[in-house]
Amino acid sequence: MTDIVMSPPVRRAGWIPGIATVAAVALYGWAILSAEEDWQVLGLLALAVIATVIGMVSGFGRSVQASWAAHESKLNGAALIGIVAVIAALSTQHFPLLMLSTMLLYFTASLGMNIQFGYTGMVNFAGAAFFGAGAYTAAVMGNVAWFPPLLTLVLGGVVSMALSLVLVFPIVRTTGHYAAVVTIAFGVLFKTFLEVNEILGGPQGLMVSSMRLLGWDFMDSPQIGGMKLSFYVNYALLCTALAALVFIAVRRLERSWLGLHMDAVRLDETAAACFGISVKKTKILAFLSGNMILGIAGALYGMMISFIAPSSFTFSDSLLMVSMVLLGGMGSPWGGALAAAIVILLPEKLQFLQEYRFLLFSVLVILVLLFRPDGLLPRQIRNYFPGARSRQ
Amino acid sequence: MDLGLIAQFLANGIVLGTMYALVAVGFTLFFGVLDVIKFSHGDVLMLGTFAGFTVWLGLEAVGIINPWLQLVVVLIASMVVTAAVGAAIAKWLVLPLKKAPPLNTLLVTLMLGTAIREAVRLFYPDGSNPKAFPALLPDASIDLGGFALRADSVILVVAGLLLIAGLNMMLNRTRLGLAIRAVAQDEETAQIMGINYMLVVLATFAIGSGVAAFAGVMNGLYYNEINFGMGLLLGLIGFSAAIVGGLGNLYGAILGGFLFAGLQVVGSALLPFASAYKDVFAFAVVIAIMAWKPTGLIPERASERV
Amino acid sequence: MTTSPLLEFTDLTKRFGGVTALDAFSMHLDRGEILGLIGPNGSGKTTSFNLLTGIYPATAGTIRFDGQEITNASPRQVYEAGIVRTFQRSRLCLELSIYDNIMIGDTSRLSQGLWANLVKRNSFRAEFDASFQKARDLVATFSGHLADRMFEPVGTLPMIERRRIEICRALVSAPRLLLLDEPSAGMTHDETDQLMRDILDVRARGNGLSIIIVEHEMGVIERITDRCVVLSYGRKIADGTYAEVASDAEVQNAYLGVD
Ligand SMILES: Nc1ncnc2c1ncn2[C@@H]1O[C@H](COP(=O)(O)OP(=O)(O)OP(=O)(O)O)[C@@H](O)[C@H]1O
Ligand SMILES: [Mg+2]
Repeated sequence: MTDIVMSPPVRRAGWIPGIATVAAVALYGWAILSAEEDWQVLGLLALAVIATVIGMVSGFGRSVQASWAAHESKLNGAALIGIVAVIAALSTQHFPLLMLSTMLLYFTASLGMNIQFGYTGMVNFAGAAFFGAGAYTAAVMGNVAWFPPLLTLVLGGVVSMALSLVLVFPIVRTTGHYAAVVTIAFGVLFKTFLEVNEILGGPQGLMVSSMRLLGWDFMDSPQIGGMKLSFYVNYALLCTALAALVFIAVRRLERSWLGLHMDAVRLDETAAACFGISVKKTKILAFLSGNMILGIAGALYGMMISFIAPSSFTFSDSLLMVSMVLLGGMGSPWGGALAAAIVILLPEKLQFLQEYRFLLFSVLVILVLLFRPDGLLPRQIRNYFPGARSRQ
Repeated sequence: MDLGLIAQFLANGIVLGTMYALVAVGFTLFFGVLDVIKFSHGDVLMLGTFAGFTVWLGLEAVGIINPWLQLVVVLIASMVVTAAVGAAIAKWLVLPLKKAPPLNTLLVTLMLGTAIREAVRLFYPDGSNPKAFPALLPDASIDLGGFALRADSVILVVAGLLLIAGLNMMLNRTRLGLAIRAVAQDEETAQIMGINYMLVVLATFAIGSGVAAFAGVMNGLYYNEINFGMGLLLGLIGFSAAIVGGLGNLYGAILGGFLFAGLQVVGSALLPFASAYKDVFAFAVVIAIMAWKPTGLIPERASERV
Repeated sequence: MTTSPLLEFTDLTKRFGGVTALDAFSMHLDRGEILGLIGPNGSGKTTSFNLLTGIYPATAGTIRFDGQEITNASPRQVYEAGIVRTFQRSRLCLELSIYDNIMIGDTSRLSQGLWANLVKRNSFRAEFDASFQKARDLVATFSGHLADRMFEPVGTLPMIERRRIEICRALVSAPRLLLLDEPSAGMTHDETDQLMRDILDVRARGNGLSIIIVEHEMGVIERITDRCVVLSYGRKIADGTYAEVASDAEVQNAYLGVD
C-alpha cells in the first residue's frame, strides 16, 4: 500500500539504567569482597542470581544495554570511578584488595586472549605460559637495580612477544587442531623448562621485587590523614590503570579496520583473502598483541604477589584463562570482566570450593558451551562509534 | 656410549612408542569419523586404568590371586569402562556440538578431561597420591651382554602391536570397518547407503577409547604406578603424535607415536646431564615439525571446497 | 594496447587427484564485456573462478590479466589487480553487520597501521564516514529497505538479501572485473531481473566494469551477456553469442546429457 518503511520511533536511551548498574555493581563488589562468612557470600551470590533473573524478565537488562550503547564513554568512565570507589572503601584491607587486583589482572589477560580467541579465532592454550613469561621477566629484572620497574612491565610484554615470535611461523602456517597442538606443546614445554632450569629457580621458583614508581615503593603503605592504608592500594590502583588502558586499546582495535580483518579471518579465511585482507598479517598481529598484553599483566602480577613458581603457570592455568574467555563470551570485553570476577572470587571467597575450583569451572564451561555458547555477556554487534549509530 | 646402554634406550623407546601409538590411534579414529578432536581421550583412559586398578583391589580382596587371571580381568574391566565412557561422551557431548564451530568440541572435551581428572583426584580414595599398580607380568629378564631385556616389556610391546594390527585388520576387513571408513569418507553418502550413522560413530569412539585403555594398563604395568595426572600427559603426547603424523590416518598415528618416543629417548640420551629436558626437547621438535609440515607428516588429502 | 583482451586463459588445466576439472581451457574476455560461462553441473565453471582468484593453483596453463601474467598469484594479488567475485555457496560472515560485510570488500585499501586505527581516531572517523556513505549507496541500489539497517547482522536476512549483500561486497572496491557464480540461485524470475538491472546500473555508473557470469538460468544469460563460453567436462565446447551457442549441436548434447 505504501512504500514508507515503518520503523518504531527511536528514542535515545537515557543514561540512568547504565549509571544505576554501575553503582549497584560497585556496591555489590564491595560487599562481596569484604564478606567474610560463607553464609554472607552465599547470600550475596543468591542475590546476584535473583537480580539477574529479575533484570532479564523485567526487560531492565535490555534497557541497560541500550543505555550503554548510547552513552558508552560516559558509562565506561563511571565504571572506572566505581572501581576506584571500591578500592577506597576497602583501602585498609589487604586481602580484598589483593583479590580485586588479581581480578583486574586476569581481566586484562582475558582482553589479550579475546583478541586471539574472540576476534581472530586463533587458539592459544599457552596463556599461562605467556603470563608467566612476563612474571619471570619481572623476577629476573628485579635484580637489576637501575632498571625502572615500570619499564619492566613493558619488557614483560616484549619478552612474551619475543617468545610468541618463535611460535609465529608454525602458528600462521597451521590452522585449527594443528595450531592447537603448537600452543599446547609450547605451554607444556615452557612449564617443564622452568621446572628443570636451575637459574630460574627450578620448581621452587623465584622472588620478585616490588613495583617502584617515581621513587615510591609499592611495598610501602600510603598514609592519608593519619590513616595507614594497605600497601595493596598501590597495586589495586595500578592494576586499574593498566586494565583501563588495555580495555581502551582493545576496544579501539575491535572498532577499527584491523578488528574487522580479525573477524573476517575468523569467520572465513578464504573470503577474507579474496578481498585482499592479509590473513597472515592479521594472525600475527593478533597473536603478538594478545600475548604482549598477557606478558604485561603477568609482570605486574609477579611483582604484586612477590613470589612465583612454575606451578602457577601450568596447562590447567592456561585452561582457566580460556574458560574465562568462554564463560564471559568470545570477543566480549565486559564478559571477560565478569568471568574474571567469577573465576577469581568464587574459590577465594568460598574456601571450601578452593579445592574444587578446576572441577567447578570445567563443568561450568561445559554447560556454557552446550547451552549458552555465546557466553554470559554475549558480544554485541560492532559499533564503530557508539552513540552515533542513530545519526548515520 | 656402550652397546648395552643403546639397547636399553632402544627397548625403552619401543615400549613408549607402542604406548603412544595406542593413544594416538584413538585421536585419529575420532577425527576420521567426525572431524573432531576429543581431547578428554587421555583422561578417559586414566579413568579406565583406575577402574581396572579398583577391580584388581576387588580381586585381591576376594582372594583371586592368579596374576594371569587378574591381568585378563583388569584389562577387560578397564577397556570396557573406557569404551563405555568414550561412547557416552560421543553421544552426549560431541554429537550435540556437531553443528558448532570445531573449536567448541575441542574446548568442551578439554574441559571434560579436566573435570574427569579433578573428579578422580578429589573423589577416588586418596586420589591425589599415586597408586602402586601391581606387577602382573613375569619379572624375568634375559641378560643380553650388559643389557637386561625385561620379559614384561616384550609381552607388552607384542600385545600392543598385535592390538594395533588387529585394529587395522578390523578397519580394512570387517563390515564395521567398512562402515567406519565410509562414514569417514563421506557421511551423507554413507547415510544414504543405509549405514547406521549413530551406531558407527559410537562404535568408533568405543573402540578408539578401548584401545587407549590398553595403553593405560600398559603404562601402569610398566612403571608400576598410576596417578590421576597420567592421562593428561599421555593424552597430550597422543594428540601431538596423531597431529604430527597427520590426522585421519592410522599409519600417521603410529609413526607419530614412535617418533615422539624416539625424540624423548634421543633427548635423554643426548642430554645426559639434563635428561629432565627430554620433554622440552620432544615438544620443541613437535613445534618445529608443525612449522615444516603444517598438516602433519602424512597429510590429509581433502582440500576445502570453495 | 587497449585492444588486447582484459583476461586470457591459455590451456588452463586443473586436476584434483584423478578428476580433471578443467582441461586445457582457453578463452578471452574483452574490456567491458559481459561473458556468460555456462555448462552442466561439474563442468568446471566454479573451478575456473577458483583458479583465477588464486584459491587453487593451476595444474598447467596460464592466466593473463590486463597484459600481466597472474597464474597462481595469491588471492590478495588478484584482488589488488581489480578482480572480485561472489561465491556459489554464499560466504558472508553471518554474525557481522551488513556494513561490516560490505566493508570486508574494501578495508584492505583503507588505513592498515595500528597508529592510524587506534590512536588517530579523528582521521579514522573520516574514513569511516566516507566508507559508510559508499556502502550505504550500494545497499540502497540493491535493496533500498536495508539502507537504514546497516548495522543489523546479516544472519537475520533471507537468502536473497544475502546474495545482494555479497554483490555489494564485491562491488564496493570499484573492481575492473566481477565474477558472479550463480548469483540468482533461489531467486524468482522477477527478482533475478531486478538484480541484473541493478548490477548493470552500477556498471553504467563506473568505469567499464567487465563481468563473467556463471548462471543456469538461460533467460538471464540470453538477456545480459555479450558472448557465451560453454564448458563440458572441463573442456570448452563452444564460444559465441548466446544465439550461436544455443543452436550448437554439441552444446545441446552436453545439456541433454547425450554422450
Ligand atoms: N576441491 C576439490 N577437490 C576435489 N574435486 C573438486 C574440487 N573442486 C571441484 N572438484 C571437482 O571438479 C569438477 C568441477 O567442479 P566445479 O565446481 O568447477 O563445477 P561447476 O561447473 O561449478 O558445477 P556446478 O554447476 O554444479 O556448480 C567436479 O567434478 C568437482 O567434483
Ligand atoms: Mg559451480
